[in-house]
Amino acid sequence: MKPTLIFVLLIMSLGLYCVLVKDNLIKKALGINIMEGAVFLFLISYGYRQGGSPPILTGSETNIVDPVPQALTLTAIVIGAATTALMLGIIIKIYKIYGTLDTNEIRRLRG
Amino acid sequence: MKYFSALLIAVLMLVLFISLQEIPLSQNLMPVSSHYVDSGVKDTGATNLVNAVLFDYRGFDTLGEVTVIFAAAAAFKMLFSHRRIFFFRYGMSPIVKTGMAVYSPFIFIFGIYVIMAGHISPGGGFQGGVILASLSILLTLVYGLWYKVRQTVLSPAISSNIESMGGMVFIFIGLAGIFSGNYFLSNLGAGFFAGIPGSMFSGGSIPLLNIASGLKVTAGLSIIFYSIAGGE
Repeated sequence: MKPTLIFVLLIMSLGLYCVLVKDNLIKKALGINIMEGAVFLFLISYGYRQGGSPPILTGSETNIVDPVPQALTLTAIVIGAATTALMLGIIIKIYKIYGTLDTNEIRRLRG
Repeated sequence: MKYFSALLIAVLMLVLFISLQEIPLSQNLMPVSSHYVDSGVKDTGATNLVNAVLFDYRGFDTLGEVTVIFAAAAAFKMLFSHRRIFFFRYGMSPIVKTGMAVYSPFIFIFGIYVIMAGHISPGGGFQGGVILASLSILLTLVYGLWYKVRQTVLSPAISSNIESMGGMVFIFIGLAGIFSGNYFLSNLGAGFFAGIPGSMFSGGSIPLLNIASGLKVTAGLSIIFYSIAGGE
């Protein structure tokens, strides 16, 4: 077990709590972003090797960090940015139509 | 509801904690990763292994990623097609405008550098594209939206065209692999210029794909910001 696993699960549970409990839609979007951060930390920390150098080869490295989780994290960051932007855009539209960001209010207004 | 959620999360995290203990922790790399590390430079000609993995070994994956940005930008265009609210109509004070005029060339050159040197140093198309998109957003905030509408280079129509062009270039580079008798998005096998690993002109199709994805990310994020800030 790596010690970062505890932090990963802590951040993950904070984000999940935010998504499940908070009523504000923007706070829910923030919670999803926090969970994304936990996933990035998990991938990067498990690709790391003790005392490893970055995966840019100049010819003298012997101990290199795993490049595959870094590439996957890069993909995940870009997808996360796109989904966050789309989430916030839809939230703006919801606010324009319903006049509130509270999920309970939104549910009550239109069956 | 609150306590029930907290209990649910605690149980879930306990399950995750126990199951994630199964991941092997060794100083040795996984077989796939050690193959990439051992023969990555020979296979792709790029010394930045992250970019080699991203644009050569898993190039198809990156094509999907680029498609996601396209989908997000397209959805934004659809959602905010009839907005006419101009938040930043006239821009900020002359002090900020003058300061921005000094800074913007440096930000632009740094973004271009990060895109162009993606195969030999940290960076790449996505990172450099985000830097260039931040320049576009800063120009809009500082000089106001009218400036952006008047400018031909920064106008939304041109951004759309640049975004489509980035995706097309990506796919055509991939198709070049098929026409040369190899698989889709093949790099050195398709006859792209290999060069000396570590030099500026090396890495086969990786720099070209970096430029394509950089253009796409720049234009895509600019479109997203512009759609929120105010319509056409």
